[in-house]
Formats: sequence, structure tokens, C-alpha cells
Amino acid sequence: MISDRIKSNLTNELRRSLLAKVGIVLFVSILLMGLFAPVLATHNPHEQGHSDEAGASYPPLGLTDEITIAQDGERVSHTVEGTSEHVLGTNNVGQDIYSRFLYGARTSLLVGLSGTLLATAIGVPVGLTAGYFGGRVDDGLMRIADIMLAFPSLVLALALMGAFGRGTVGIPDPIVAAGFADGMPETITFPGMVTVVVALVTWVWFARVARGEAMAIRNEEYVKAARSLGASHATILRKHVLPNSLTPIIVLATIQVAAIILLESSLSYLGFSGTTLSWGYEIQRGHDVMRNQWWVATVPGIGIVLSVIGVNLLGDWLRDALDPNIEGEGAGGAG
Amino acid sequence: MAFGKFLIRRLLQGVFVIWGVVTITFALRALSPGDPVNLIAGQVPDQSTRDQIRQDLGLDQPMYVQYFDYLGNLLTGNLGYSYNQRRAVNDIIAQHFAATVELAVAATIVAVVIAIPLGVVSATRRDQPADYAATFGSLVGISTPNFWLGIMLILIVAMQVGVFPTSGRGIAFHEAMYNLFRYGYVLDLLSWLSYITLPAITLGTYFTALITRLTRSGMIDELGKPYVTATEAKGLPRTLVRYKHVLRNTLIPIITVLGLQLGTLMGGAVITEEVFNWPGLGQMFITSLRNGDWPVVQGIVLFIAVAFVVINILVDALYARLNPQVTDE
Amino acid sequence: MTEEILRVEELKTRFFTDEGQVNAVDGVDLSIDRGDTYGIVGESGSGKSVTARSIIDLIEPPGEITDGEIWYREPDLAAAIGDDYPDAIDGDRIDLLRIPPSVRRSLRGSNFSMIFQDPQSSFNPTITVGEQIAEAVEVQRRASANPRSTRARSEQYTLTSMILGSMFSSRRYVSPESRERAIELLELVGIPDPIERADQYPHEYSGGMLQRAMIAQALAGEPDVLIADEPTTALDVTIQAQILDLLDELQAEMGMTILLITHNLGVVARMCNRVGVMYAGEIVERGTLEDVFDDYVHPYTAGLLGSVPDMEGGGGRLQPISGNVPSLLDHEMGDRCHFADRCPKAMEDCLNHPPEYPASGSDHHAVRCVLAETGYNDGRALPDDYFDGTDRPAGDKHVGPDDRDEDSDDERQHPPAETTGGEHQ
Ligand code: SF4
Repeated sequence: MISDRIKSNLTNELRRSLLAKVGIVLFVSILLMGLFAPVLATHNPHEQGHSDEAGASYPPLGLTDEITIAQDGERVSHTVEGTSEHVLGTNNVGQDIYSRFLYGARTSLLVGLSGTLLATAIGVPVGLTAGYFGGRVDDGLMRIADIMLAFPSLVLALALMGAFGRGTVGIPDPIVAAGFADGMPETITFPGMVTVVVALVTWVWFARVARGEAMAIRNEEYVKAARSLGASHATILRKHVLPNSLTPIIVLATIQVAAIILLESSLSYLGFSGTTLSWGYEIQRGHDVMRNQWWVATVPGIGIVLSVIGVNLLGDWLRDALDPNIEGEGAGGAG
Repeated sequence: MAFGKFLIRRLLQGVFVIWGVVTITFALRALSPGDPVNLIAGQVPDQSTRDQIRQDLGLDQPMYVQYFDYLGNLLTGNLGYSYNQRRAVNDIIAQHFAATVELAVAATIVAVVIAIPLGVVSATRRDQPADYAATFGSLVGISTPNFWLGIMLILIVAMQVGVFPTSGRGIAFHEAMYNLFRYGYVLDLLSWLSYITLPAITLGTYFTALITRLTRSGMIDELGKPYVTATEAKGLPRTLVRYKHVLRNTLIPIITVLGLQLGTLMGGAVITEEVFNWPGLGQMFITSLRNGDWPVVQGIVLFIAVAFVVINILVDALYARLNPQVTDE
Repeated sequence: MTEEILRVEELKTRFFTDEGQVNAVDGVDLSIDRGDTYGIVGESGSGKSVTARSIIDLIEPPGEITDGEIWYREPDLAAAIGDDYPDAIDGDRIDLLRIPPSVRRSLRGSNFSMIFQDPQSSFNPTITVGEQIAEAVEVQRRASANPRSTRARSEQYTLTSMILGSMFSSRRYVSPESRERAIELLELVGIPDPIERADQYPHEYSGGMLQRAMIAQALAGEPDVLIADEPTTALDVTIQAQILDLLDELQAEMGMTILLITHNLGVVARMCNRVGVMYAGEIVERGTLEDVFDDYVHPYTAGLLGSVPDMEGGGGRLQPISGNVPSLLDHEMGDRCHFADRCPKAMEDCLNHPPEYPASGSDHHAVRCVLAETGYNDGRALPDDYFDGTDRPAGDKHVGPDDRDEDSDDERQHPPAETTGGEHQ
């Protein structure tokens, strides 16, 4: 599994590649932001009304915004200045964008990571079994894969959301519960249905890769030997086939985290999410007011781009260091 | 001969795939909450009218009967009726698909025209500034959600330059062309161009980035193959070595990847149409889904799936023609 | 009296890799007469293939020819470019390393051509064999249509010309005449039904047939010098003999000079009249076939010959001599005889890098070994464990040529590992 050779390949590639370092830094920063959002946030992300005396939203710190407001029945020009109270400004309903940015990171990562895990958990066993046994099982899987491929992943995800609804799960926020962050939301709204849906859309990629690996491994001498020594199929799958197909699965999973972050943001942008603390949702809101408050849509988009770049760079690093043979580019992005 | 067999096999597979898509979308409709009668009749309290509607739509039948009815209708080319638009789904699709095709084709052209030269430059000037720029640009390109990119283009380009409309489609391409050739009227075409530019860039960016990456890595692989040295050794001009031999061989597999990415393109079109209020199938899909207008949703998904299957058969046929090793195997 | 067509002096080709500077070719001297067959023999990684590629100018980054002279006798060319590059001209000879790349490029195909080890990977799989040979014919046709002096410039074939060519068949690069000539060439190298064969793709050919086609392609430009890099290694033994016969015949017919790169002493004995033995980027012994096979001096040559079971039987492949394949990394090479760590006769004198000494036999016989100058002296022998970690001379941890094959697909990145994928017969 994680042999010394793999470790040294990883460190060598990391030393060689500047981009891999950038990827790690980006990913870890976003991860920390998401994890410690309640501590790092300056305001409760749901709290409205953070606007100046004329009711205008603040632009990011250091910028000024020129707007026209009605005053005593006349239209007058009014200047809003960014304030250190709201470093990234506030949105059209007066919520603090910086705090919402942190919570948005949380949602993206939660869905990205748990969606990928779920997709792996569905796809890998199916793919390994199909590839290992071959024959009818395998044919069946490949036909299902063909069908899944004919659906654009975003379209399928939307249709699933349309059919299943936008269920969410409330999880108590441990940091708030422990008393480290007063005044922050007490529950994390976990968009459970979105997670299930993105997994249902992407599992087939894991199945395909796992199948390919299993097909290659099942004919190896040591697998035949284990079989002739009386090991059961289940044991062989678990002890030999799975560990040996891990590398490409890990690389694929990394790429899929990026794809799922994009998919989640697209769903939220279109209003199929379940939580309002999402970058995609925030961009939707910003889209409505972009002519007046350009920063509302701009800031969360930067969050998406940076985290997806970070994850993609991690994926490139793993791929270059571990060199698995993954066909094509995975499911690609959805957004 | 071999080719005919191959085609028949692919067609059968395609029919199976389409059946699968139809079945899955039907199942989703069956699972979805909400009563279509409300959509059609509004909140008519009159129970007998409601029952009448239900009966007309066949919604009082058991699910399996509805399923076979639906399949039967599909076989006659009838996609059903919209719940709340009082029109046949066929008409709705016929009205909107040209806009989506225009957008998708424009985006593909943008992508191919930019990406292939970029990939070639990147591969042939490896580790030089041009390569770094292209590599970095394509990394950002595949990492940017296109709805955000669309909004940024509106903010930065449309609102500053003012030439590009930010919403709607203006005139259809075929009308613009008709006016051009019939009356020599150029402005319509320019207007069409001004409307489609930003959506096409928005939709095309991901593909530009993807094709750049594929071209670069494919060409680097290809340049390392012994036949390239052998072709150089016989004194062939470098242009021919690079383009007639290497680039051609690089692009052959990329064509297949692009066929498979058609789904991503359609997914992207859904979002792009939403951002730019582009009256295509994607926008219709979202609207219908929000309204629970399942017949339209099903019709559009089916339409996309058929397009996917047909285009991939064509791509495979093209691939077989370009790569002589395939047909013999 | 034969004249010298090619003279290589102090050729140095380096590869600048992540691990350091690789001295793939480290001061090679060669002299080849017109019409001769010169064999370079050595293990994988000895630099023989890089030497050949340096001569025909196929070294690409990170590789670079850093030093040396390659004198090529071609009176027409010398006269044509003499005014422009007087430094590069000496009488009717040209130093190929001192003329601009465009002129050098123009020599490919028409003056020098090359056949490669693995025909299957040396043809483009998606273009018909006939078309690929016709391309080579076209190169020559266009070259001879232009006077020497303008050739370098007219060789430019722009992207525009190519795009036009793909649209209008009359503007294609390859003319119908070249296609016809390609068919004649296929016939010349003994391919039956050449007209149909020309329209087939490489994967429709057998290995032996495809190697014939590659020879046809190499002959298309009627070259002065044909470089054959392991031309038979990838083939069956019976086919090998046929290909060698074909080369023999064609040489007699067309009067070409052949530079044959091989690890197979049987092939050398059958084909060559001059031989150079390469080791660690140097020619360690060279001379006529008799000099090297009968009057050898260098212990490495002795080792090679000692391990050839049957010279005529085609199976005479080079057995590795015990010990490690030498590192070609500059910082590991040291200033001693590079063979010393494997040499059974290594002495204290060998710790200084030996120059080339003349040796008994013909005038051409030269050896890079102190034994050519002084006899073996037991008293001065190096102790067995002098090069620690390496058993000398009869260790069991020898590394054969095969062990360096891992990267045979991307020789560019790992220049010293020559492609020897065909040795497993
Ligand atoms: S110089 Fe010395 S070490 Fe080198 S080959 Fe000759 S005898 Fe052996």
C-alpha cells in the first residue's frame, strides 16, 4: 500500500514541483478555513442588517462605492466606504461576506469530501467485483456505465434533486458547542441530499477505474497462487485486489473532489442546494445585484476557483508521482 | 464489412442506452413529489375536474401502464404534453434546440481554435514562458465554474465595453444568414455575434482548457515516439513532421475524449443559458424542473441523450477511419 | 585506392539531465572509407547509438554535441557553401558541426539516412507505408531540383503550404511521381505485390517486411552514408539473415557506405570490414575486422570475443562481462581507464586515463589501453578489492545490457539506456 518507494516518489515530486507545493498550501488553507469557520468568522453569517446608516451595503475594505439613494423624495449621491468591521464587505441583505465565505468553504469541502467518499464506497466495490469476476456481471456494469455517461452529470444531478427534494441534515457544530465561538450558528447544515446526488452521479467513474485495475490484477500470478491455496474470492478481493488498485483510485478521488466542488456550486447557484451558506448560492445572490454590488458575486467565486485549483494541483502531484494509468480526464468539471 | 458490423453493434448499444435513460427519468418522475394536476389546473377545488384531468393524462393508471404508455408514445415520436405550457413537448424542444446547438457549436469552435495552437506551442516549447502561461491558464480554466466566469465577463467586459448584450439571444443564426444573403444585411449577423460572444466564451473556456491540456500532454507523448525520430531522419521538413505526423496522431484520440465530454458541454450549456438568459433547452430544462413540469424535463434529457449517443457513434466511426489499427482488431 | 568519406574527431555528446551531466559520447574518433561497412559494437549504454545519432544530427535536448569535428567529403556541397562558411570547409570536406542547422538538416535523407532497430515503432502507424516512403523520395526530389546553395532556404515548408496542401491535392507535399518511385523502392527491397503493399498501414506488415520497407525508405534519398542502428535486433534469426543479405546486395549495387551499430559480433563479422569497439562513451579498440577479431589487445574486446559461441550462427550476441555497466555520469567517471573496475588485468598504470596507442596489425589498429604499450605486470596489478563493492573480475552481480532496458521507450529522457528491447530472443 504506502510503500517506501511511493513515499519517496511523493517527496521527490513535491520537491521538484512548485505547483504541487502551491496546491498543498491552497488546499490546507481552505481546509483550515472550513474547519475553524466559527472561530475565524467575525459575524454570524446569517445575521442581517450590517449596512451603513443609509442602508447601503459595505464594499470590501479599502474600496468606496458610489450609489444613488432617495432622500426626502430626492435622489442624492451617497458614498459608502469599506470598513474594517467587514473586510470583504457585506451583501445586499447586509450579511458579512467574509464570514459567509468561511462557512461556504465548509459546505464545499463537506460535500466535496463526503460526496467523494460515498461515490468511492459505491463505485469501488462494484467495479472490483465486476472486473474480478468478468463475464455477465462485468457486461452489466459496463452497460450501466454507458447509460450514466449519456447523462450530462449536471443534468442528472439536477433531475435527481428535482425528484428527491433538497433534504439537509443538521449537525451540532462541535466548536460552538464547546463554547469557543459564541454567537455563531449552533448547527451545521449539511446538504445531505446534494451529497447523495453527487455521489450517484460520479460513482460510475470509480467503478470504471476499479474494474480496469481488477481485470489487470486478477491474472497476476500471486492472485492465482492465493486462489490455488484456497483463499476465498472475498479474501482475495480484500487482501490483493483492493490494495493494488488503491493508487489510481486515490488519484481519481482527488480529481473528483474538485469536480464535486464545482458540481455542488453549480447546484447551489441554480437554487438546488438546501443551505444558503454555499458559495454557489452566494454567487446567485450576487448575480442579482451585480450591477450595484459587484463584490457579492466576485468574492465567493474566487473561493471556488482557489479551492478547485488547489485540489487539481494535488491531483496532478499525486498523478505525476504515482503514475497510475487513468484514462481520460475523469468526469471532468461540471460547472 | 467489419465496419458495418461495428456500426450495428454500436447502434444496438445506443438503443439500450437510450432505453436506460428513458427508464431512469421516468422513475425520477414517479418518485418526485408534487401533484401535476395542481400545475395544470391551478388550485381548482372542483374534485371532478381534477379527476377528469387525472384521467386524461392517464395518471390514474398503475405505474407500469403509464410506463409502457410512455414508451409507446416515444416510439411514435411523441414526447408528451407539458403540464403547464399547454403545448406538446416536441414543439417546445423544436423551438429551443437551435439556440442551444448554436451556443454549443460556437463554444466548441472557440475552444478548438484557441486550444490546439496553444497546446502545440506548449508542447513544442516545453518549459519556456509560453508553456508556463498556457499551463497556468488551462489550470485556471478547468477550475473556474462557468456561471461565475459568465458573471465576471458581464462585469468586466460587457459593463465596461458596452458592445455585448448581457441577456438574451437577439436573432437566430439562420435568420441572420438569410438576411445577409437575401438582402446583404450585415448588421443582423453582427448583432448575432454580439449576443453569442460572451456565452460562447463562458461555455468554451472549460473546453479550451481541457483541450489545451490534452493536446499538450498528448503531443509531448507523441513527440517522444521513435517514429518521430525516424521521420526527422529522412529529412522531412519540420512543419510536416509536426503537423502531418505528430499533431494528427495527437488529435485522433482527443476526438474520442471530446465525444465523451459532450455531456459536460450540455451540462455547461444549462448553466450558461441560465446566466445569460439564453432561450435554449438548458434554460427550459431548469425552468421546467423548478416547476415540476416533468414531461418537458424528460423530453429534454432524452433529447440530450440521443444527441450524445448519435454523436459518439459518429465520433467512433471517424476514429476508426483515422486510426487504421482499430478496424482490424 | 579508397577515399575517406567521413572522419569523426574527438566527438563529445553530453546529456544534461536532472541527475547530472551524462557523457554519452566522450571523445570518439572514427574514419570511414567510401563504400565500406564500419561496425560500431558495444553493450547497451556504451554510447554507440548516440554516436550514430550525433553524426546524422538527431540529438535533441537535453542532449547536445559539445565538442569535436565531423568531416564529411562532399565536393559539391563544399563548393556551394564554401564562400558562406569558409571555416567549415577544408578542400572538398565539410565540418558538419560548423555549418548552420538548416544546412545540416538538408543533408538528412539525401546524404545521410538511417534505419532503426524496431520497424514497427519507427513508422507512423496512421499513415500508409507507401506514403511514408514517398515522403522520403519527395525530400530527395525537391533537394535535387534546387541548387545546393539555395537548398537550405527552399527547404522551408511552411504551415501555410501544408494547409493549402491539405485542401488542394495539386499542392500536396508528396507528388504522384514520388508515390510511383516509392512502389519501385518497395519492389527493389523484395516486397511482393508492392502496389497493394504501398497502400497498407505498418501494422499490416510483418516485422521483416516492415524492416525491408524501412530500408526502402532509407534508400529513397540515395544517401552516401546509411546508418543502420541495430537493424536486425528486433527480428527472428532467419529474417535477420535475409535483411543482412539485402543490405549487402544493395550496398554492392549502389555503392553506399554503411555505418552499422550493433551489439552482435556475428553481424559485425559478417558485414563489416572495419570495426570500432565502444565502451563507456569511448572507442576502446578499432581497426580492420582482422585487427579487432584476431589481433585484439584490449581486455574488453577479449572479453567480448571470448563469449561469442558461434560467430556465423547469427546467435552470436554479446555476452555481458562481469561487473557493473559503467556510469556515464560525469562526476562519477573519474580519471582512470573506464574499464578498470571490470578489467582482469588492471594495474596501477591504468589509474591514469590511457590515450590511444597504435597496435600490431594494420595501420588502422588503435587501442585505448596501456597493454598496447607495456606488458602485463603482475607486480603492479591492482588488488582485487581495489574498487570496493565490485567483485573483479569474476563477480556474479554483473549487470547485463538487458537490465538497462526499462526506459527503452523514451530514450530522449534517459539517453544512456539504448534501446535493446529485442535482445530477448
Ligand atoms: S588500461 Fe588497464 S584497466 Fe584499462 S583495459 Fe587496459 S589493462 Fe584494463
